[in-house]
Amino acid sequence: MIKTIELFPGIVLRCFPDQRFKQGCLSIQLVRPMDREEAAVNALIPAVLLRGTENAPDLRAITLRLDDLYGAAVGTLVRRVGDYQATGLYCSFIEDRFALEGDRVLEPMIGFLEELLFQPLLEDGVFRRDFVESEKRNLILTLQSQLNDKRIYANNRLIRSMCTWDSFGVPRLGEQEQVERITAEGAYRHYRRILEESPIELFYVGAARPEQMAELLKPVFGKLRRTPRGLPEQTAFTDPPTGDHTEQLDVAQGKLCMGFVSPITLRDDRFAALQVCNVLFGGGMTSKLFMQVREARSLCYDIGSGYHGSKGIVTVSAGIDFDKEAAVKGLVLELLEECKNGVFTAEELAAAKQALISQLQSTHDAPGAIEGYYASGLLSGLNKTPAQYIAAVQAVTAEQVAQVAGTLELHTVYFLKGVR
Amino acid sequence: MEKRFYPQLGETVFWDTLENGLTVAVVPKPGFSKKLCYFVTDFGAIHRQFTLDGQDYTVPAGVAHYLEHKLFDMPGRDVAAEFAALGAVPNAFTGYDMTAYHFSCTENFEQSLALLLEFVSTPYFTTESVEKEQGIIGQEIDMNADSPDTQIFETLMGGMYRSHPVRTPILGTRESIAQITPEILRLCHQSFYRPDNMLLCVVGDVDPEQVCRIALEKLPEAAGPKPAVRRKWQEEMICPRSDLCRAMSVSMPMFQLAFKCEAADRGYEAVRREIVGDLAAEALFGESSPLYLRLYEQGLIDSSFGGGFETIEGMAMLTASGDSEDPKAVLDGVLEEASALLRRGITEQELLRMKRSALGRRIRSLDSFDSVCFRICAYYFSGFDYFEFPAVYRDVTRQEILDFVRNTVTEERMCLSVIVPDEEAQV
Repeated sequence: MIKTIELFPGIVLRCFPDQRFKQGCLSIQLVRPMDREEAAVNALIPAVLLRGTENAPDLRAITLRLDDLYGAAVGTLVRRVGDYQATGLYCSFIEDRFALEGDRVLEPMIGFLEELLFQPLLEDGVFRRDFVESEKRNLILTLQSQLNDKRIYANNRLIRSMCTWDSFGVPRLGEQEQVERITAEGAYRHYRRILEESPIELFYVGAARPEQMAELLKPVFGKLRRTPRGLPEQTAFTDPPTGDHTEQLDVAQGKLCMGFVSPITLRDDRFAALQVCNVLFGGGMTSKLFMQVREARSLCYDIGSGYHGSKGIVTVSAGIDFDKEAAVKGLVLELLEECKNGVFTAEELAAAKQALISQLQSTHDAPGAIEGYYASGLLSGLNKTPAQYIAAVQAVTAEQVAQVAGTLELHTVYFLKGVR
Repeated sequence: MEKRFYPQLGETVFWDTLENGLTVAVVPKPGFSKKLCYFVTDFGAIHRQFTLDGQDYTVPAGVAHYLEHKLFDMPGRDVAAEFAALGAVPNAFTGYDMTAYHFSCTENFEQSLALLLEFVSTPYFTTESVEKEQGIIGQEIDMNADSPDTQIFETLMGGMYRSHPVRTPILGTRESIAQITPEILRLCHQSFYRPDNMLLCVVGDVDPEQVCRIALEKLPEAAGPKPAVRRKWQEEMICPRSDLCRAMSVSMPMFQLAFKCEAADRGYEAVRREIVGDLAAEALFGESSPLYLRLYEQGLIDSSFGGGFETIEGMAMLTASGDSEDPKAVLDGVLEEASALLRRGITEQELLRMKRSALGRRIRSLDSFDSVCFRICAYYFSGFDYFEFPAVYRDVTRQEILDFVRNTVTEERMCLSVIVPDEEAQV
């Protein structure tokens, strides 16, 4: 299904040819090791690229070009994939067959991407200072605005407090202090460097043939002078616990977040079993957390667990009354104990497996989902197609679920409560 | 059953109205695994006053949402577990003017459909279970109290409207939901969950005939008279309040501004005005407008800024929202830009470009099953076949857009809702 073409050393085009969609999508990922020092500048660069090119020197000129391409969208792509950070652009555009009067979209779209990537508007040979400064400000405001969604905020605080050295503790978009230090010179130098040495992953979903895409993209990337460098291997999470954390803000509802650690990552054969275990424990309306904490005891509206497969971390989060922290925490641990002891029915197990399978079966039903699954899956070390993954889920037994649940250890608890 | 083909979109929809009164729409998606199904009633948070059998009723705020939660209960059965066993994921949401129950699946579609129809059409409310839900919905209300987006919007509605029930939050308040009883839930269910007040919409590789057969088998015929529901409210175009500010634990000021518009008609005219409103928003403050560029370069807005034309039954507005250190400056910019736009006009070429862009974006959104299903339902209740939108774009003229801006973007019709960080409010 996926056709992989190495355009140049370290520059790979992966195509998922598909005629079913109204739109095609193309992602460009420059892949870096996730690193505290450069995470912020990697996050900033795509935003600066989208501020202006030689031929389209401001935001408005860029939008008018996209308007002419039938409202095509180009956005920044900044992704955490395990120990890597991918930075680049993501674009979606209608398939040529939906354009009027024989208009073409794909070819001019790639031409415009080339401009955005390789002909940014420069000043004294570096990025324009005003673009860099205003995108720095926007990035800082984005980092600060994580406070606005208390669930996301609390989860970020949990992850932060779990990590001592692990790259998982570096925020996806970097940190404010690092953003503040960025200069136009430094950012441009860094950009040239990552173009020269980083692995470049291109992923296309759409109606065009892979060979045709390779022909269109080769001249775009052939102009780069390259000295490609490889990436270090992905690692599991091994940081020690640093104690529990409580914070107070002026909020109406408390947020309890708990982090558990297992040695099982998505590169492990037991990955599918831990996925199933997570769904049974806290994923969805039939999970233990939902059924017991919400439905049976009305302690919350919102509760669930998530499995970060690249690191082997399972997090639980719940919105609760301030005085229910101990009760909910105890209940969560009790329910995890049930998983470890195999206290769940054949129906609960089947439902968890079926939920995962349905989700995997729909992977191929949307261009964004296809790109997301493969483009990050391949980088994180998950070498399975959805079909292979489904087979692995189907084979999971109750004993395996109990066994992998047994590997989960409580690492850190974070509680956000009100000031009153 | 009627089969409609839309050549420009490459889509087909099967429409039917069954003997039990239910309308069914099926969008076949050969080659796709996912199936998405919406079962929707023309009953939402604002439908709180109605007359049935000669008697007038006013129900507590939040009842539509409460009912949505409680319908998942069935005597002696666990609806969530049954869906899970089928591999389907059910959920529901309550809007101001409709309530939707939906599931998605890849297998066991027909059993899942039967289950959806069964649980939504089976009222089962005990005093104990209705009381228990107060704890859960109380937590949901607290969650919304901490959500700045929700707070900005609810504050805005409270400032813009005097009598329209959009003034009141969809969830109601802790006090209003305390008044909800099994009898009230039964009354609302009986009045609004009748097949002739509902739409069943399926997107996916399914057999439309089979969908209709299951719906006919599972749903009883609509019986008795339909309730007469209040759907219009007297509203002046001047906003009772124009400037609202609250403090919350947020990182920087956030705002939503709006200009009040006359409530929309139904059908083609309503959609035409919506598209006129969206194109006006594009011309005024869209990413390709001079104003957007200026505000962005001055650091008054960031990429969170955006807006368009929005309607809820009985109300309509042109609105924009985002984060800004100076929301008033953004508002002033919009008012000034409206005058400038009216002076310079819109060229035919600019209009074509805006239409092409908007049309392209709408076509791309058809790749999303959720977006298609939602829009078919929302437009159905306002009397329009959603897939006819390309023709509406063709019809819209420059003059209509300018007239819309002239009538709408004025100081009297304007309202600004702002949330500032905690410490700023104390100064």
